Amino acid sequence: MQTNNPNKIAIQLKKINKSYQKGSNNVVVHDNFNLSIAEGEFVALMGPSGLGKSTLLHLIGGLDLPTSGHVIIDDQRIDTLSEGKLSIWRAENIGFVFQSHHLLPVLTAQGNVELPLLLTPLDSKQRKQHASLALRLVGMEERANHLPKELSGGQEQRVAIARAIVSDPKIILCDEPTGNLDRKTADEILTLLAALNKDYGKTIVMVTHDLRASEYASRVINLEQHIEEGKQSQLSAVEVNS
Amino acid sequence: MYQLINHSRAKFKQAVALATINLKSFPHRAIASSVSILSIACVAAVILSVLAMTQGMVKTLERTGLDDTLIVMRAGAVSELQSVMFPVEVNILANNKQVLKNSDNQAMVSAEMFVNAEMSHIDKSGEKHIEKLALRGISKNTYGFRPNFNMIAGEKFKTGLRQVIIGQAIARKIPTLTVGTTITLGGARWLISGIFTDNNSVFESELWADIGMVQSDYQRGNTLQSVRLALKANTDIAQLNQEWQDDPRLNLRIMLEKQFFANQAENLTRLIRWIGFPVAFIMALGAMIAALNTMYATIASRSKEIATHKAIGFSAFSICFSILIEALLIALVGALLGILPLYFIFDGWTASTQDANNLSQMMFNFELSMDLIIQTLLFSITIGLLGGILPAIKAMRLPVTVALRDN
Repeated sequence: MQTNNPNKIAIQLKKINKSYQKGSNNVVVHDNFNLSIAEGEFVALMGPSGLGKSTLLHLIGGLDLPTSGHVIIDDQRIDTLSEGKLSIWRAENIGFVFQSHHLLPVLTAQGNVELPLLLTPLDSKQRKQHASLALRLVGMEERANHLPKELSGGQEQRVAIARAIVSDPKIILCDEPTGNLDRKTADEILTLLAALNKDYGKTIVMVTHDLRASEYASRVINLEQHIEEGKQSQLSAVEVNS
Repeated sequence: MYQLINHSRAKFKQAVALATINLKSFPHRAIASSVSILSIACVAAVILSVLAMTQGMVKTLERTGLDDTLIVMRAGAVSELQSVMFPVEVNILANNKQVLKNSDNQAMVSAEMFVNAEMSHIDKSGEKHIEKLALRGISKNTYGFRPNFNMIAGEKFKTGLRQVIIGQAIARKIPTLTVGTTITLGGARWLISGIFTDNNSVFESELWADIGMVQSDYQRGNTLQSVRLALKANTDIAQLNQEWQDDPRLNLRIMLEKQFFANQAENLTRLIRWIGFPVAFIMALGAMIAALNTMYATIASRSKEIATHKAIGFSAFSICFSILIEALLIALVGALLGILPLYFIFDGWTASTQDANNLSQMMFNFELSMDLIIQTLLFSITIGLLGGILPAIKAMRLPVTVALRDN
């Protein structure tokens, strides 16, 4: 279990601008966006589609770079890292859980969970031990030798969570992890994530449309509201300065 | 949190691990990859055939002829078939001081007759077969110019009789021609008295008979077509040539026998290469495009998988490498599919071609040697790699966010 300092900022997005070119149009996704998440928080990012929730997750995870602004994780600016260094940084610091679990169909649950460990100096025996432990944590040790097609949707998502935590990253990023699941299974997954947050101190950022997420997360950020508040505070700052 | 090792060995290890995982799913994509595999198999088969055929011919012709023997023909003749010579010329040549003499103090000379003969025979089922074969009229002296000559069945023909000995290559190609069989040559019936070998040289594609009988049956009077002369060591060929060119009684072309057959090999193989290699090149282009298509399709179908690998932390290099390994595997499977049947069926197989100079059949063995197989493998792998490189770069540059979002 990690020892967290709730006063320490784990994730900080400063003055983020993100836009992309679509044909001849410049589409602005984020304009001067700011966000801070403390170590050990379980944040649910909610809000209507098209506000750039997944984009934020990708920026935090170093899968995408901002047009301008700073992405600071654990006091390290990651938006200036090269692609190669970002890959290594991701492998060391971030665990991803996607809506579609993206498990490799040819590998067993055990094999899929071992995948991130191939990037570590661990030998085969150690990798197996670590993967078994991660599977036990998500309650999937008995299904370790099953292929993804032999598992239910909830079980597949549990294996994906095991894959995200197996290399013991500080931060877990979840993009709609319950989007494809029924209510009961979704609750089980949210319970599991909450346990990883409380019992193991993982900082979790979860993009979700699931209204029940607020029951599990330590903080719910409604992105629409957050953006509006940001604009208001900017205006106030301008008024004070003038 | 695990500290990763960021050095090239670790990156390579990563790449190999990813390639191993990709290979596990290869059987699922084998059918989709079959067009590419088959294209490369065809290219490998064509390339190897051309190489094996060329090598077989070259080796057959290389084994023919001696370094210290001069072949003399009529000036302007590029082959024995085109040449005509007279006994008086043979006498002038034989009396030259540079020509070696045997233990009986006779000049070592072999006057030979060469006919593009139509040979017919009737097999056991009563069916008549006709073949165009080289019939060489020789004398006893000729054997002295064939150090590798060896009778493997029957006996040599007898002078003054319509008897022939046949080369082993002919006997292998036409198994019904055995010792004691009667064949028809030039309208007359001849008896096969024996079968000979000559170190797999081009002579094994010939029928040899008494020169007098051949001259008589083919109404050539006392003319002949080529003369072979054994020369003393260190003979200055250029000087000898000049001497004979200056002799008004002679109108000749001379060449070392080894060189004569080497030139023939060059002409034949050039023809095969001009036809074979352009065909193989066009097929190779097609196979490369097929490999390119297959790999692009593979990447399209696995974009999420690749994006997941990137999200987990696999480097762009390892992803690129794993795609190249798969392209390599496709090429390797294709190459083996092209090479192995050819090897098991055709290695050592006797083929024949029409010798453009002599208009008769020349038999040679397909020689699928290890170096040719390796050359073909390397060529096929190159095709696979060239076909895989662009898709691999595409996979390396695949935008993770787009691939993951595309649900």
